[in-house]
Amino acid sequence: MNKSKGDFFPLRPQTGQRGRMRLSAKLRSIQLIITLSFTAVAVLVAVIVAFMLYNKFAKTAEENANLNMQQIIEQVNYNLELYVKGMSNIFDTAEKQITSSASIDSPLLYERMDTLMSSREDLVSVAVFTPQGEYVVGTPGQSMRLNTQLQSQSWFTSAQKTPDISYSAPHIQNLFKGKYTWVVSISKMIQYKQDGELKSGILLIDFNFRTIDQLSRQVKLGKRGYAYILDPLGNIVYHPQQQLIYAGLKYENVEPVLEYAYRSYLDESTGEKRFITVRTVKETGWKIVGVAYYDEIVTTKRDLNQFLIWFLAAVILCVIAVSVLLSWLIASPIRKLERTVKQVGDGDLHTPINVSGAYEVEQLSRRFNLMLQRIRQLMDQIIYEQETKRKGELEVLQSQINPHFLYNTLNSVVRLAERGKNDEVITMIQSLSKFFRISLSKGNNIITIQEELDHIRHYLVIQSFRFKNKFRFEIRAQEEVLPLQTIKLILQPIVENALYHGIEMSPDEGLVLITAELQDDLIIIKISDNGIGMSRETLNTILSGGGKSGSGSGVGVRNVNERIGLYYGREFGLAFESELEEGTTVTIVFPAVSSSSNSESIEGEEPL
Amino acid sequence: MKIIRLMLTLLMCGLVWLSVTSCFNTSPVYINTKNTRNIHMIVKMNKGDYWNTVKLGAEAAAKEFNVNLTFKAPDSESMIDEQVAMVEDSISQHADAIILAASSYMGLAQVVDQAAYSKIPVISVDAEVGSAKVRSYVGSNGYEAGQKSAERLITLLNGTGEIGILNFTSASLNGEHESGSIDYGARDADEREKGFLNYAARYPNIHVVQISYTTSSTAEAEDLTRQMLKNHPGLRGIATLNETASQGAGKVIQSMGLDNIIRMVAFDSSPSMLELLQNGTVQATVIQNPFSNGYLAVKYAVEAVQGMDVPERVDTGTKLIDLDNMLYPENQKLLFPFVK
Repeated sequence: MNKSKGDFFPLRPQTGQRGRMRLSAKLRSIQLIITLSFTAVAVLVAVIVAFMLYNKFAKTAEENANLNMQQIIEQVNYNLELYVKGMSNIFDTAEKQITSSASIDSPLLYERMDTLMSSREDLVSVAVFTPQGEYVVGTPGQSMRLNTQLQSQSWFTSAQKTPDISYSAPHIQNLFKGKYTWVVSISKMIQYKQDGELKSGILLIDFNFRTIDQLSRQVKLGKRGYAYILDPLGNIVYHPQQQLIYAGLKYENVEPVLEYAYRSYLDESTGEKRFITVRTVKETGWKIVGVAYYDEIVTTKRDLNQFLIWFLAAVILCVIAVSVLLSWLIASPIRKLERTVKQVGDGDLHTPINVSGAYEVEQLSRRFNLMLQRIRQLMDQIIYEQETKRKGELEVLQSQINPHFLYNTLNSVVRLAERGKNDEVITMIQSLSKFFRISLSKGNNIITIQEELDHIRHYLVIQSFRFKNKFRFEIRAQEEVLPLQTIKLILQPIVENALYHGIEMSPDEGLVLITAELQDDLIIIKISDNGIGMSRETLNTILSGGGKSGSGSGVGVRNVNERIGLYYGREFGLAFESELEEGTTVTIVFPAVSSSSNSESIEGEEPL
Repeated sequence: MKIIRLMLTLLMCGLVWLSVTSCFNTSPVYINTKNTRNIHMIVKMNKGDYWNTVKLGAEAAAKEFNVNLTFKAPDSESMIDEQVAMVEDSISQHADAIILAASSYMGLAQVVDQAAYSKIPVISVDAEVGSAKVRSYVGSNGYEAGQKSAERLITLLNGTGEIGILNFTSASLNGEHESGSIDYGARDADEREKGFLNYAARYPNIHVVQISYTTSSTAEAEDLTRQMLKNHPGLRGIATLNETASQGAGKVIQSMGLDNIIRMVAFDSSPSMLELLQNGTVQATVIQNPFSNGYLAVKYAVEAVQGMDVPERVDTGTKLIDLDNMLYPENQKLLFPFVK
């Protein structure tokens, strides 16, 4: 079996070199299809999900950052409002003290001013000026500078213009000797008593930036973000990089800020994306402006980006691994099955197919196994049948050239010759020669019924000499039966049986009647004798073999039955009817097959 | 089969990667503030409001650009050798960049070349140095400043009178200034003087009767002023060309009660000078932009360290301030550093 199969099956198409499948075949392989489609779908889903997540999260993060920033600014705004309120409270207190004081130059007022000054760190100076710009009273210990130009300073002019408290832009306090300080001035026209006279003057309180700086410093808007304060005119009140802006090294785009009191927007004027949040301090009209750098606010977004990239990469890798594994799980039993089937196809019927895997594949493998078993069975059967057939024919042929039969026949011929019965001798020899001729019939297994009937007639002729006319015979056949086909030598063993076991034992004159007819496409040949018949037991054993061993004629009958069965099917064969002392009828039934070629008519043949 | 499958997989991974990453845009390039840089700033001297303001600016920039700023200065502007030693120190400490306000144009040239040889970029601030290796100069135009000073002083004197100049320099290494063929003076001092003299030369009735050079102490400046006033009783105008000289001369004029007799145009904007200006002792002062100088010097130093292109020359400008315009908001911002 392990020899090259090509030697055994030269006509089978030879498979090409293994493993060199065409690309298209590879692309159509289950595993690849599953892997690719699964991966594609999974990756697509992952990407879509990731994008949706990203968009959602990014939006939320942005909103949160924006909201957070607004809250921070709101808080600072609130604190700043409190601070401004505090400033105005101090201003009110100072005003009250000055107004209520009996005289502006009373020592009590000085003391109070001193207390007020020392109470707050961010107070720079308190002073009262006449509307003409002359110094009236102020924080103890301060002396005026020359050339202060105070009448042109904004706190002075605005105090004269409006009765309300006015807040100035940051400016240099140049009034008093000592330091030049950046201050915010609060000023208002007030009433005071001097020398018992009620006068009006301008109260000025200067605040430095200490508290505003502290408040603004709390603002943490990312690493680079910051908050600054604008006055209503667009002057920068406070900026963490105030000096840089004053020096012209930095620039703050305040115009869009000025238009709104309450706003959040995205600014790109500096080339960088920045979130700007504007809130307005109620009393002063100052605007607190939060600036956060977009790329810092969206750090979460970038983190998310990075995370999603890695996540996606991991998912894709996992998906690929899983899909390769999965497709391998599915495809490998199929491939194994395919290989096994291929082996079977190559002729190795004994290849066991034990593929485990998916249910369907297992079923397929089992069914295939069953089928294979059946094929093997059938093959065995065919082999057996072929062998039996050949053996049967050989047996029959052997029985034809039975030396015993030949000896008896020749003996009869000699006896006839001694008696000078030349005609009979001739008949006998002729019959014998034709008998053998048909027996051999050029090695053909199939002959016509005509030939078979001729054959049996010759045999009966010969036997009638042998039995010294102890029996008569008659052959009747329908015309249409004669050209039909039969396997050869089916009648002789039966007739032989009838002669030797039926008629020979019978005291009466024997009669052998052979009829052949066509019924419903079946050829029915009946061989009847009026011999001693058979018991039921003999009848039962005659076809099944076994029992009877006597002259071996049973073997001949069985041989016939078997050959008919092998050629035409098991449902055809011999049937026996027998009654003791009455005779036996053997019926042969097999399908009618017309000879495809009528060439094989035997020459010199005479019909009955 | 395996190879094809691998290739397809890789291809797909690549495509997915591309599609994913293409959606995330990259941020623009800024000055990289992730790495701390060691920048050494060496100025002319360690006192005086002017240099303090320069330092303030430098510190603001240092904070902004994540710079570890080392600020060094000798005690006096004339200590050239010490300044040279400081630069050498910085070179041996492998500073990332050196910012130098050279007390001597030629005196520090060699050491600057050395720094450049050690691949340390040098930015000069305020005063130039005689080396071609300097990456950038941040400061004002001394010549222009001198001219502004002369113009105002001559206007104040109505075009006639004797003028004394109080300049600063460290040229007196060998006691003489103008005789040596090598210019050992500070570049800015020379330029201002040149600017002043060139402008004054247009007026035939203006006579620059004396030019004195102070090193860097107010006391010396005061002495020099007194000497000058003694030597030239007809002196009507004094121009001082740096902060210490201005302070010294201002003090003398104030204490001698010469406010109304001597017109003075000072230099730089120390608070005491502004007091004198407001009092009327000094009629005008030429100011520079020390804060910007310090800030920009550090900024360009960082950029130079990063290999970015820096401008060769940055003129931060000069301005003439008098009593009238000193309270203009924009001048307030220049004159008074915003200290919280």
